[in-house]
Amino acid sequence: MSETLADFSLGKRPQTKGMIQKVGVVGCGTVGQEIVRTISEYGIDVVFLDLTEERVQEAFVHIGEQLDEVINHWGLTPGEKRAILSRIKGTTNYNDLAECDIVIESISSRKKGTSLEIRKEIFQKIESVVKPDAIISSNIATLMISDLSNGLKHPERAIGMHFILPISKTNVIEVVKGINSSDEAFGQVVKFAGMINKKIIKLNESPGNIVTRMLVTTINEACEILMEGVASVTDIDMAMRESTGYLYGPFAMADRIGLDKVLKYMENLYQEYGDKKYKPSPIIKRLVRANYLGRITDRGFYNYKSGKPVDQTVTCAVIK
Amino acid sequence: MKIIVLNCGSSSIKYQLFEMPAKAVLAKGIVDKIGLKGAAIKHKRSDGTEVKLEGEILDHQSGIEFLLGILISEKYGSIKSLDEIDAVGHRVVHAGEKFSGSVYVTEEVIAALEDCVDLAPLHNPPNLKGIYAMKDLLPEVPQVGVFDTAFHQTMPPKAYLYGLPYSLYEKYKIRRYGFHGTSHKYVSKRACEALGLDINTQKIITCHLGNGASMAAIDGGKSIDTTMGMTPLEGLIMGTRCGDLDVGALLYIADKEETSIPYTSTLVNKFSGMLGISGISSDMRDIEIAAENGNERAKIAMEMYQYRVRKYIGAYAAAMGGVDIIIFTGGIGENDTVTRTKSLEGLEFFGVKIDVEKSLKSRGKEEVISTPDSKVKVIVVPTDEELMIASDTYEIYEQIAQGINN
Repeated sequence: MSETLADFSLGKRPQTKGMIQKVGVVGCGTVGQEIVRTISEYGIDVVFLDLTEERVQEAFVHIGEQLDEVINHWGLTPGEKRAILSRIKGTTNYNDLAECDIVIESISSRKKGTSLEIRKEIFQKIESVVKPDAIISSNIATLMISDLSNGLKHPERAIGMHFILPISKTNVIEVVKGINSSDEAFGQVVKFAGMINKKIIKLNESPGNIVTRMLVTTINEACEILMEGVASVTDIDMAMRESTGYLYGPFAMADRIGLDKVLKYMENLYQEYGDKKYKPSPIIKRLVRANYLGRITDRGFYNYKSGKPVDQTVTCAVIK
Repeated sequence: MKIIVLNCGSSSIKYQLFEMPAKAVLAKGIVDKIGLKGAAIKHKRSDGTEVKLEGEILDHQSGIEFLLGILISEKYGSIKSLDEIDAVGHRVVHAGEKFSGSVYVTEEVIAALEDCVDLAPLHNPPNLKGIYAMKDLLPEVPQVGVFDTAFHQTMPPKAYLYGLPYSLYEKYKIRRYGFHGTSHKYVSKRACEALGLDINTQKIITCHLGNGASMAAIDGGKSIDTTMGMTPLEGLIMGTRCGDLDVGALLYIADKEETSIPYTSTLVNKFSGMLGISGISSDMRDIEIAAENGNERAKIAMEMYQYRVRKYIGAYAAAMGGVDIIIFTGGIGENDTVTRTKSLEGLEFFGVKIDVEKSLKSRGKEEVISTPDSKVKVIVVPTDEELMIASDTYEIYEQIAQGINN
């Protein structure tokens, strides 16, 4: 056997465990892709898993395009892009997650109905292949990490992590401790967040955490203002952007997240709290029915051309 | 006595083991990809024995632990036990205004360097990691910090202040610090030794032209001005850094190209300089070949590079009221004969006469390239920052030892 560095250790201290070298991401829709890209940008190997080989290829193409966009704005060199892509592996096989220190479930919450059961199943599949001390996490907004982890053999390893869009520009992650989550698991996630240069907001689990809860009520209120004929989509957005320093106004934000997802967040929160303030606005329901889902379909509250809003789609009641 | 010199980067550690005062290198190597996949140590002993060892290197401390393990190993080692190491010299990038020379590392020094982290957020933290690791692994061995900025601390306020509100200097110490100090100091000293001149009477311009490049005006052995500023971005055109630039241009670009502050930093640090102008490479050798083959942008890039060096020679001669010696060092300064020679073109009017044939031939060695009758001596001196760190460490060690004996 050839010699390795371990043969030259001074044995001064035990080699600490718990280094995060590889992270898995299950589900590679738009959000999953952003998570994958961000992690790789900070020098960590990422394996992402999706259902079909086509989806894996598609995700690769999209990540490459996102990186090209950064290069076009001088944020990255072509060499750095190659290095980032070289750290990313796509797969359809759960066994490829075996070496991961943290696996983050991030399947799309677009599909109708509750995704709780599907996510629980994914959690169990992840647990069946990873190391005993690997962390299993989910990028959840309105679901509860305790619900997701109750089918695990070791639910203490589950921690919720909510990445906030746009992930590359937002410097925080909501880190959610469930009823069973251990301090060690929490500590690992804190370390990981530090490695990808994100501040953490530690919270005790609660549907919607902070950000989603504040966001959906703001979007609902914006819809009310619109329906009452007080002001237009662009004016409401501008008012909120300019007055509060938000990166996006409520409608632009809703379009970014996807109106179907916003609707789902609202339905989940309404169901959980029973409070009317979470009840989805009829405008959002109508838009989703018409497949006006936001940026992803090139139309939502705004029409989009090459990813940029061009005009508003909904006009409000005005007395002439 | 044996001194180990460490240069800790964000994910690598360069190290050399010296026998002092003989200045002999017993072993050297690099710990690479710390905390990443493919981590390894490449080690070379003075007898030519070479080895690359792979394995998991979690952090700087375990990297240093392994390199010490190699140094005392029977197979690749140079010493029998760690007790043979008498002192450790650390390269530290930024010491702010705190230190104007190398120092014995105490708790107070560490605290002062921690205070400088804001000024060099990429460089100082790994430098400090090296100091902490050695404190832990060799608690009895004295450590010495040698700072890139220290040599330039002799600059007067008129050279180091920016034309900005003075309150910003008071609040955040926004000022010019300069870098490559260890190299500028070493080559200026060495050149005077080689030429048999007293450094205290000489007006010297040093040109450290490497991937990063800076020049210094050294009057009587003291740096009175240098081209790099608060960060290593100012001054000469470099491989991928733009050097001097109108801030207004940057604000205009940021507006037009919708670049954020981090992206703007990438633009001026990684996309600019020789790479950005030529569109070919950041490596002077590639650009020279392209220029020879008629590539116009490569030609312009080279002319710009040479012009900027020449302009600063003029500026520094004016600043010192004359110049006696011009020194070239660094990868380009030592080996790129064309760039070096052309940078000095047209300076005959103030007494620079180059032996062009000699200058175009001399590569990587200490050699005078001016004509014997040249009023200003021009000399190439290969830099050796590690040796300088070892020498400073040795000096400080001796001082401490004498202090104890007295």
